Amino acid sequence: MTTMIAGDDVYAIAEDLFAAMVDGEPGTVRPWTLPLPDWTDPVHAWVDLHGDWSGRAVVTTERATADDLARALLGLPADEAVSEEDLQDAFGEVANVVGGNVKSLLPRTGTMGLPQVASVAPLLPGSALVTQVLLDWGGRVLELTVRDVP
Amino acid sequence: MTITRGTFAFVADLVRRRSAIVLEPGKEYLVESRLLPLARAAGLDGVEAFVAHVRRTTDDRVLEAVVEALTTNETSWFRDVAPFEALRDHVVPGWRATGRDGARLRVWSAACSTGQEPYSVVMALADAVPGLDVLATDLSEQVLERARQGVYTQLEVNRGLPAPMLVRHMARVGSGWRVGDEVRRAVTFRRHNLLDAPPAGPFDVVLLRNVLIYFDADARRAVLERVRRALRPGGWLVLGAAETTVGLHDGFEPVVLGRAPLYRVAAPVRPVPSAPVAPHRARAVPVSVVPTPAPGAGLR
Amino acid sequence: MRALVIDDSRTMRRIVARSLQGLGFETLEAEHGQHALDLLAEGPVPDLACVDWNMPVMDGLTFVGRARAEPALRGMTLMMVTTESEQSQIVRALAAGAHEYLIKPFTTDAVRDKLELLGLLPAEEHA
Repeated sequence: MTTMIAGDDVYAIAEDLFAAMVDGEPGTVRPWTLPLPDWTDPVHAWVDLHGDWSGRAVVTTERATADDLARALLGLPADEAVSEEDLQDAFGEVANVVGGNVKSLLPRTGTMGLPQVASVAPLLPGSALVTQVLLDWGGRVLELTVRDVP
Repeated sequence: MTITRGTFAFVADLVRRRSAIVLEPGKEYLVESRLLPLARAAGLDGVEAFVAHVRRTTDDRVLEAVVEALTTNETSWFRDVAPFEALRDHVVPGWRATGRDGARLRVWSAACSTGQEPYSVVMALADAVPGLDVLATDLSEQVLERARQGVYTQLEVNRGLPAPMLVRHMARVGSGWRVGDEVRRAVTFRRHNLLDAPPAGPFDVVLLRNVLIYFDADARRAVLERVRRALRPGGWLVLGAAETTVGLHDGFEPVVLGRAPLYRVAAPVRPVPSAPVAPHRARAVPVSVVPTPAPGAGLR
Repeated sequence: MRALVIDDSRTMRRIVARSLQGLGFETLEAEHGQHALDLLAEGPVPDLACVDWNMPVMDGLTFVGRARAEPALRGMTLMMVTTESEQSQIVRALAAGAHEYLIKPFTTDAVRDKLELLGLLPAEEHA
């Protein structure tokens, strides 16, 4: 029953997030058209959604990209190191914004958990992939996935 | 505190040199409102202190920020707010007082772009009038098609649309929002070139906001004359916050309604004089003509 | 003008605070609704509170209801700033007493537009 979550809508959510809050101008993300490379040092941020529909929205990228995202959101200079705490908070907020907007695509209003961040991909037993969107942010790839628990 | 003449003159000169937009005397309120946030962000008390700082600066970005603040031309809902309040709280009651119950208020949004302006007019006025017809025109068929769809992104609806109006008049569709049928029904979108003969009037209100800047002086006069002919006597013209008819066309009488300057078609029509037009002093509308709004009436 | 920014994410607090500072506000921060109520009991009441919805301890909707019920806080304008963007959620927030509602993600221009609608920009300081 998750036909409500279309890849185009998830892409639009990501576009808005980057235009409004990350880069401050539109046009900085494009679809990633190459195959998804193997992750070398990934970090994942996710939120769980509950209600008539249960599932999870996950954002995954290389650590270095997540650091750049955190710098952009926190207004840190390009050479400043990103603390673990800053990364968790900023990258978690990215998942929060994506997840919250994904939640609003569903036909009935549900609830959302607090964001979590880890270097290991979270397991959601019994879940199926609903949609996957790959973003190109200045040549770096980000993966947005939505999974549901039928 | 109103800014001094010298301060206003400096800002107007800066804006004119960099953008060709002319701020006439009478627009001090605009300079104050647009520059006060910049003043505060610079840690200064008010616009006077800020302009003194601007006069001394060698940082071109500060000058650009001032010009940008006074000339921003983005598409938002209820742009500048005050003109929509003026239509609802002054123009419509005045229109009704002339015995027009049962008649439909006719509005022309003459540079409607992606539709936020005409839809805002409907949202602001639909409750206040027995019937409302809005003609919305633009030069570009592409933007008109977007406007007809009435679908806007989350970022677009964040721009100036009061939350109560959002939930009342729009509905989620996918990741965006769509204008409800009852609002869309009141608007007809049509392609129109302002240099051509105007659409069939007469209109009670014409909105011609932030588009005259794209024309040279002769064309501006010609457009205003066409607009005047499309308005009924006593009808109202709404311009952008930095614009005026004064010095361009004397067939309009500047009138401050609430916080906004509007331009009323002078009746009867006088021939255009050959002498230069004196700078206007906006006059408040006599109380007997226009009812005052209920207290606490904000744009909600 | 003073504003209180209530959000459990330090990142989001910083983003909102930066936008407000650029518009001339002094800002305070709180991590959740209870923290905000504690702060408000201690000092002068701000002109504006920007309130996230999903927070631990006390969520934003609850905070809005408490703020509106408290006579000392009635003069404070309440704007929710949240990812909750279902129509029904916005209706709930307005019914609880929120004056305005800003959906994440947002731009500084959007914050400015909302504050103009609320009459918080520019201040009516004409002498």
